[in-house]
Amino acid sequence: MTGPHPPSQEDGGVPVPPPDDGRPANAFGQPLPGAPLPGRAPLRLSPKVLLIHPVRMLPSLLLPLVGVLFVGGFSGRSYGWAALGVVATVAYAAIRWATFTYEIIGDRLETKRSLISRSVRTIPLERIRGVDVSMPPMHRLLRLAVLKIDTGASGGDEEAELDGVTLEEAERLKAVLLHRTARAEAHVPDLAAAAGPEERTIVSVPRKWLLYGPLSGAYLLTPFALAGGAVGLVFQWGDDLGFGQDTALSVGEWLWTHPYLLLAAALLLVVAMPFVGGLMYAVFNWDFRLKHRDGYLVAERGLINRRSVSLESGRVRGYEIVDGLAERWAGVVRAWAIVTGLGDSQTRGQLLPDVPRAVAVEVTADAIGPYRSALRAHPPVARNRRLFRAVFPWLVLAVAAAVLAWVTGHVVWWFLLVPALLLAVLGVPLGLDRYASLGHGYDGVRLAVRSGSLRRSQAVVERRAVVGWRLRQTWFQRRAGVVTLIAGVGAGKGGYSAIDVSETQGATFPAEVTPDWLRPFIQPETPPPTG
Amino acid sequence: MTSKGPLRDPANRVSPKAVRLWLLEALIAFVLFLGGSLLVAGWLGGSGWSWVPGWFADNSWLLPVAVAVVTLPFLVAEPFVRYAVHRWELSGDVVYARSGYLTREWVFVPVSRIQTVDKGQGWTERLLGLATLEIRTASHAGSSTIKGLDQQVAARLAEQLAHRAEELRDDAT
Repeated sequence: MTGPHPPSQEDGGVPVPPPDDGRPANAFGQPLPGAPLPGRAPLRLSPKVLLIHPVRMLPSLLLPLVGVLFVGGFSGRSYGWAALGVVATVAYAAIRWATFTYEIIGDRLETKRSLISRSVRTIPLERIRGVDVSMPPMHRLLRLAVLKIDTGASGGDEEAELDGVTLEEAERLKAVLLHRTARAEAHVPDLAAAAGPEERTIVSVPRKWLLYGPLSGAYLLTPFALAGGAVGLVFQWGDDLGFGQDTALSVGEWLWTHPYLLLAAALLLVVAMPFVGGLMYAVFNWDFRLKHRDGYLVAERGLINRRSVSLESGRVRGYEIVDGLAERWAGVVRAWAIVTGLGDSQTRGQLLPDVPRAVAVEVTADAIGPYRSALRAHPPVARNRRLFRAVFPWLVLAVAAAVLAWVTGHVVWWFLLVPALLLAVLGVPLGLDRYASLGHGYDGVRLAVRSGSLRRSQAVVERRAVVGWRLRQTWFQRRAGVVTLIAGVGAGKGGYSAIDVSETQGATFPAEVTPDWLRPFIQPETPPPTG
Repeated sequence: MTSKGPLRDPANRVSPKAVRLWLLEALIAFVLFLGGSLLVAGWLGGSGWSWVPGWFADNSWLLPVAVAVVTLPFLVAEPFVRYAVHRWELSGDVVYARSGYLTREWVFVPVSRIQTVDKGQGWTERLLGLATLEIRTASHAGSSTIKGLDQQVAARLAEQLAHRAEELRDDAT
C-alpha cells in the first residue's frame, strides 16, 4: 500500500517552518506544553483571521447593539455596552484562534480544539480525497485562504476545515496532503502527467464564453430571491429602522390598488432574470481553468471568491455531459466529473462551465478519457411510452376541466383547460425529443447512457467502475417488452440508467460490457452477443 | 413464470415458508388499510360537514367495502406471485437475484465487488425461521436484497459470500 518515501517525508511529517517573516502564525507555533515531542510543531491559523472573524460576527451583533442604542439612548452607558459587545466578540475570536491547532504527524493530520471541551480530530492522509482551497473576499484582501479537506465520508461533519491560513501555507499544505495521498494510493499511472510537466493547463475558458451563462438556467431566479430578501428585511427590521410594519403594510396596500405598478415590477424582475443570472454566473465561473497537477485534476474559478478544487485522477471514474434545451440550441454543454466518495459533487465535481460541445468532448477526453462509439437507439415502443407520459396526464386534466366547464359553466375551468391543452400539445415534441435523447453504448473501455430532454445528460463511465447491474421492469414496461437497465457505479450518483431498452438489449448490453459476469445466466439457445 | 428475453431464471427458489411470511405481511397491511378506511368513514359519516356529499354521509360503510374489494385480490395474489418471481443463484462468482411483484427487478452482483453481507431477521421472519440477505456494494444500484431465505441457507450463503469476497477483493469500486 505505502510506497517508499524519501527520508525527508518519512520522519515526523512537516519540517518546522522558520519562525518569522510574513508568517506570524509560526511565532506561536511552538510545541504545546502537553506535547513536548521534539520535531513536532502544532501550527495555528494565521492571526490575520482575527481581523475577519469579528467582522463576520458583526451582523449577528448588530441587532442587539441597535436595540441597546435605542433603549438606552445615545448615552455613555449604551456606548459602554456596545464597546463591551465588540470587545467580547474580539476576545472570543482570539480565544478560538489561540486554542485551535493543526499538525501533520507522520501519516495523519490532527486538528485540536481545546476551547471548553477538548476535541482532537485525526485524519489519515491516505483518506484525503481532495483539497478545496477557496478565498472569500475578506480572506483575499488579507492574502488568506480557507482549506477544506475532503475525506470522502458522507457527513459534512467529517470534513476538516482550516479557515484562515496564509496563501503560502495553503499551497504548502495542499502539496503535502495531496502528495502523500497520490503516493499512498496505488492508482493507475497517468501517462500524460508523467511525461509532461508537473502542471499542465487542460483548458482555460475564454471570457466571451461567459455569455453562454444565462442559457444554463443557473441563478436565473436571483432577481426574485433578491427582491424577496429585500421585502423580508424591510418587514423584519422596519421597526428598528424607524418605520413600523404598518408603514410597510400600507405601502403594500397602496401597491395592491395600483396593479399596473406591481405588474411592471414583476415584468422588470423577469426581464432582469437573464442579466442578473448571467452576471452571477460570470462572477462564479470567472476565468475557469482546468489543470492537471501531479495526479490531480484541479479546477479553478471565481471572480470574488476564487475557488480551487482538486480531484484525485485515480478516483475519477467518468464524467457527465449535461445540456438543457436552450444550451442545446446554442450548441453548448456543461460537464461534471464522476468521482468516488466526493461530497457535494454538484459544486465540487464541476469540470466545465458552458462551453461549445466540441471543446467539452475534447477536454473530457483529455482530462479523463474519450468515449469513442455511437449511441444505440432504444426500441420504437420507447417512443410511444415517452409520448404517452408527456401527453396523457395533461390530456386527462384537460378532459376533466372540459367536463367541469361544461357541467358547471364556470369560466374558471377554461383557465385550467387552455393551459392543460397547450401543455398536452407541447408534450408531443417533448416526448419525441425525450425518445431521441435515449441511448446507450460501449466502446470497449467506457460505457455511456443518455436520457432527458429539458435537461439532457450523458454519463460516460469506465467499465471497471461498474459494480453490478440492475434491471427494473414495471407492469407497464412488461406489457411493452422493455426494461430500465441500471449500471451500478461506486461513484457519482451510484447508478446510471438506460431507460426503456428492449428485453434483449437489457441482457446483451451487460453481457457485452462484463461478459464474465453474465455468461452463466444467458440462455444457451440465444446466440452470444457480438461486440 | 419463465422470463422472456435471453436471460434464464435464477436456479433456486426462496424457502416455501416465505409464502407464509408474505401472507402474514399482506394480512397486516390489509388490517391496516381496512382499519384506516373504517376510521375515515366513521369520521366523515358522523361529522355532518357541509362539503361531504349527502349520499356519502348516508352510505359511509361503502368506503371500507370498496377498499377491501380493491385491495384484497392484490394482497391475496401477492404472496404466490412473489414466490414464483423471487429466485436467486450464485454461479461464476456472481449473485443473480430476481424479485418483485408488480415491478420486477433482476440484479447481478459480482462477488469481487461486494463490500458487506448482512443477514437480518425481523420478528415475522424469526417466527418462521427465515432470513433476509443484504448484499452491498459501493453503489445502491449494484446492491441486492434477497428476502425469504431459509435461515440456514442464508447463513451458509452469507458465509460463503464473505469468504469468497475476501479472496477476490479488488479495489476498483
